[in-house]
Amino acid sequence: MSQAGTAAAPTLYPFEFRGTGSAYFGIWIVNLALTIVTVGIFSAWAKVRTRRYFNGSTWVAGHAFDYHASGYRILIGRAIALALLLAYTLSTHFHPAIKVLWYLAGAWLLPWLANSSIRFNARNTSYRNLRFNFTATDTEAFMAIVLWPFLGLITALILWPFAQRQKDYFYINNHTFGGRYFETKFPTWRMYAIFAIGLGVYGFILAVLLGLGFAAMAVLQQSHGTPFANVPPAAVGYIVIAMFYLPFLLIAPAIHTMIVNLTASGTLFDDKHRLESKMDPLKVTGIVISNVALCLVTLGFYYPWAKVRLARYQMSKLTLVASGDVDSYVSEVFDSQSAVGEEIGSVFSFDFGL
Amino acid sequence: MIVGRYFFANSARFVPARASVDDKRILKITGEDGGSLAEAPLRQVKITPRLADLPRKLMLPDGACFETLDNDGVDELIGIARHLVSGGWMDRLERSWRAIVVSIILASAAVGAFVVWGIPALAFQLAMKTPDWMAAAVSDQTMTVLDSHYIQATEISEADQAKAMRIFEQVAKTGACAPHVCRLLFRSRLGANAFALPDGRIVMTDAMWQMAKPEELAGVFAHEMAHVRLAHGLQRVYEASLVPALIVVVTGDISQIGQMAVILPGVLVQSAYSREFETEADRSALTTLRKLGINPAVMAGLLERMDRERCGDRPCGGSWLGDHPDTAFRAALYRSGR
Repeated sequence: MSQAGTAAAPTLYPFEFRGTGSAYFGIWIVNLALTIVTVGIFSAWAKVRTRRYFNGSTWVAGHAFDYHASGYRILIGRAIALALLLAYTLSTHFHPAIKVLWYLAGAWLLPWLANSSIRFNARNTSYRNLRFNFTATDTEAFMAIVLWPFLGLITALILWPFAQRQKDYFYINNHTFGGRYFETKFPTWRMYAIFAIGLGVYGFILAVLLGLGFAAMAVLQQSHGTPFANVPPAAVGYIVIAMFYLPFLLIAPAIHTMIVNLTASGTLFDDKHRLESKMDPLKVTGIVISNVALCLVTLGFYYPWAKVRLARYQMSKLTLVASGDVDSYVSEVFDSQSAVGEEIGSVFSFDFGL
Repeated sequence: MIVGRYFFANSARFVPARASVDDKRILKITGEDGGSLAEAPLRQVKITPRLADLPRKLMLPDGACFETLDNDGVDELIGIARHLVSGGWMDRLERSWRAIVVSIILASAAVGAFVVWGIPALAFQLAMKTPDWMAAAVSDQTMTVLDSHYIQATEISEADQAKAMRIFEQVAKTGACAPHVCRLLFRSRLGANAFALPDGRIVMTDAMWQMAKPEELAGVFAHEMAHVRLAHGLQRVYEASLVPALIVVVTGDISQIGQMAVILPGVLVQSAYSREFETEADRSALTTLRKLGINPAVMAGLLERMDRERCGDRPCGGSWLGDHPDTAFRAALYRSGR
């Protein structure tokens, strides 16, 4: 080891979510009531407070994140989104053929809206007095969220995991903190492995459900003649859709968790510091399912605790693996970043909630 | 005097520091050694609104920042200049149990009222304003799917079809449905069944024709025509999108869409709406049957026979998930005539 200490031992900084369900309950219900009283207008400010609570309750290495967005800009973003939606609905109402034009426009509009939203949220997120930023061009956004998914779809999903990787690269690798880049890198086969596992489990659950369905039908047929007799056709449709959709709902949280583990653990910041996410996909699935059940039983009032419980688990499994002492690194490298600060707010960017 | 951390201008570097405000309303930040770090008139300092027990920030005009966990200390410090901070009232509401109780009542009442009256009324308005070509397009789609997967051509003789048509026309003439809107189609499979599509197509299965007597058939047609006249099919389509929209508003989270949390309550609420439509159609059929001089009680007999065919001697029973009310309820409605 050299004397200059270039190969300092890695230091682990676990993330921690310090929010509580009861504190968030107060924020949620009061903001919901104000949103209702103001016919939705206050929802923009409600969003700021919610996001600030979650950012501000997330700590790593002795500091919390923060969120600085102004409710006005979110309101404007929502007004624009609503205007677009109205324009779409009205124009296609009177001239159905105009849809084609909208789809073409959407291919350009969607990347722009996504870029604008991600950039808005990055620039309004801070840690240790410095802001994040998002630097993707609209062309990159077009490739990641229009072209690649499209190619994934027309190749019968063969390219879908690759498209997912392109989307994650686009999202993470264009984020900066204090002007330095995050970069995730992982072999594509690992994304294919996740989707292969997902497909396998999906197929297994579907097979079990179909087996149970056929068994039930056989029993019914013996006792009452034709299966589905007197079942309204709409209900038959629901049953079939539910059979194919239910396994998808069940595996979605686990797939998402595995993707986050993969992309986060592959992430380097400033070529030095690593992130490490070690969530258990089954545990997350359990949390999500019990959250939904508790929300149903409590007529929705469990929602704040549900959200906090998930965030707690997610953050408890996330670690910053810094090369050396992160405090002295940050103090030295990010001593003055005036250029980053001035840029904020000068570029047209709004949150469209995408 | 409050204790916190002072971040230098546009820097992640910080030192432990203290903040105070003098009688000229100048914010003064001093280091632990007592040396001055920064000064700024309070009205140029941006103070973040209080939120739960999150760290509070005093942001100086040059990009420096004083951060502290002492929220009460900050409130006291800026006491005389409270008007400079926006949003303080929000925090007081969020932590006041009175405001929380009022909010719970208000939100429950509003969401409850929206589910019970708002969504049905909105869906009704939208359904009534939907142009005919849209209803036709939806119906074409449904019919194509049904024809290719679930139902087959009829095996009823032409003479019997003409008989059914005559009953159908008689029922329509009472005002149950405009004759140029409602049309009768014959198909087989799916047991004894009849259903209506939004554009006025009413499909009757062969088994239904065999099971129902002419008077009962009039009741079946009257029920399906009510679905068409009252645009129940389209209302269901609109309700299917209004329920998720409500959940997005309540949770403030668009990404929730398509997740279990949205789908399950959505299914429960929508089948409740559907049961209301069935009762509405039953009531309308009752009136139509009276106009035709038919005793509505005959429908009770048909419903019970259909139930026996489907479930044997045990009653099929209703459920929260069912889109029809249970048979005992429906039969009682026809028997009571109200």
